[in-house]
Amino acid sequence: MAIINQATKELQVKIVYYGPALCGKTTNLVQVHDHVQAAEGQKGKLVSLATSSDRTLFFDFLPIEAMSIKGFRTKFQLYTVPGQVIYNTTRQLVLRGVDGLVFVADSQYDKMQENVKSFQNLEENLRTLDLNLADIPYVLQYNKRDLPNVAPVDYLEFLLNNREVQVPSFTASAHKCEGVFETLNMITRMLLHKFINESQRKAA
Amino acid sequence: MPLPQLIEEDLRVLDDALATLLARCEASMAMLIDQAGFLITQAGEVDQFDTTTLAALSAGSYAATQGMASITRETTFNSVYQQGEKHSLLIVNVDESCLIVVVFRASVGVGVVKYHTLAAASTARLQLQVARQRTPTASLDLAAMNLEDSCSFFRRKVNTT
Repeated sequence: MAIINQATKELQVKIVYYGPALCGKTTNLVQVHDHVQAAEGQKGKLVSLATSSDRTLFFDFLPIEAMSIKGFRTKFQLYTVPGQVIYNTTRQLVLRGVDGLVFVADSQYDKMQENVKSFQNLEENLRTLDLNLADIPYVLQYNKRDLPNVAPVDYLEFLLNNREVQVPSFTASAHKCEGVFETLNMITRMLLHKFINESQRKAA
Repeated sequence: MPLPQLIEEDLRVLDDALATLLARCEASMAMLIDQAGFLITQAGEVDQFDTTTLAALSAGSYAATQGMASITRETTFNSVYQQGEKHSLLIVNVDESCLIVVVFRASVGVGVVKYHTLAAASTARLQLQVARQRTPTASLDLAAMNLEDSCSFFRRKVNTT
């Protein structure tokens, strides 16, 4: 849960990138880290707790401050989870205190089952933390659109965004940094508007 | 349990608790963090360490330890200790929302650090209770937040491929 610190006029928000193994979650953070415009001190180090073969073991972590918000110091902490099925306990740990989610789906046809299972796993893990996906801002990113064997976006929408309330979705080729910032800016906007609306509702 | 709304008085008490801890056990740095990994306040030689990242990693490490406690049928392991050659690190549970992380020179005994950290944790716990009781449902009015150019909170550098 975000920290809104009245004493220091600081807002700290946790965004978790979730999705099946090798879908490009870490690549999203690497691209943000490498390409974001940031003033001195606004971007921290990208920390990866990974195996020797560069597969995420615990999480990746990137602290970053938004540059265009006045009135509050707004710090975002971006995390990824390990996608491999065996690391479910670890995914639950990383989800603690989550404010917003980016679900990264692999657009390749043969990955559809993994996408759906990972999405179901996300819902289950949130339930173990007494959270409900419907209450948490999230966006979908259909990654790897530059590969030849990708499913149509409509099909991905049918599988992952076929709900009462549809969420924003973005196509991406994360390794080329396409769609990465669009995704991050949308989840950021959704989160900040949620916080502002909640604070105004409580003040009323 | 979410972190309560903190006001300046709360932060002053929490900062004092950390400062007292540092003075009594000659630790290098101490910080109060949220269990989700957010840094709440810090004291000591904070410029020597990347405290934002240390907070995230400490929270992750502590959470993993709780998983191990569960598997070994322990209710909780309420601290984590790592001994190094130059610096050692101690993470102590404050309550369901917070942890204290202390970095201290390896030559300092962990016993004295733990003793004083538990005292600081007790002070912090009490102050967090005060904050919760003061305004249990309080939230800061974020109307002052100016979301200028809200399409691009984060911008890509121009000369990159």
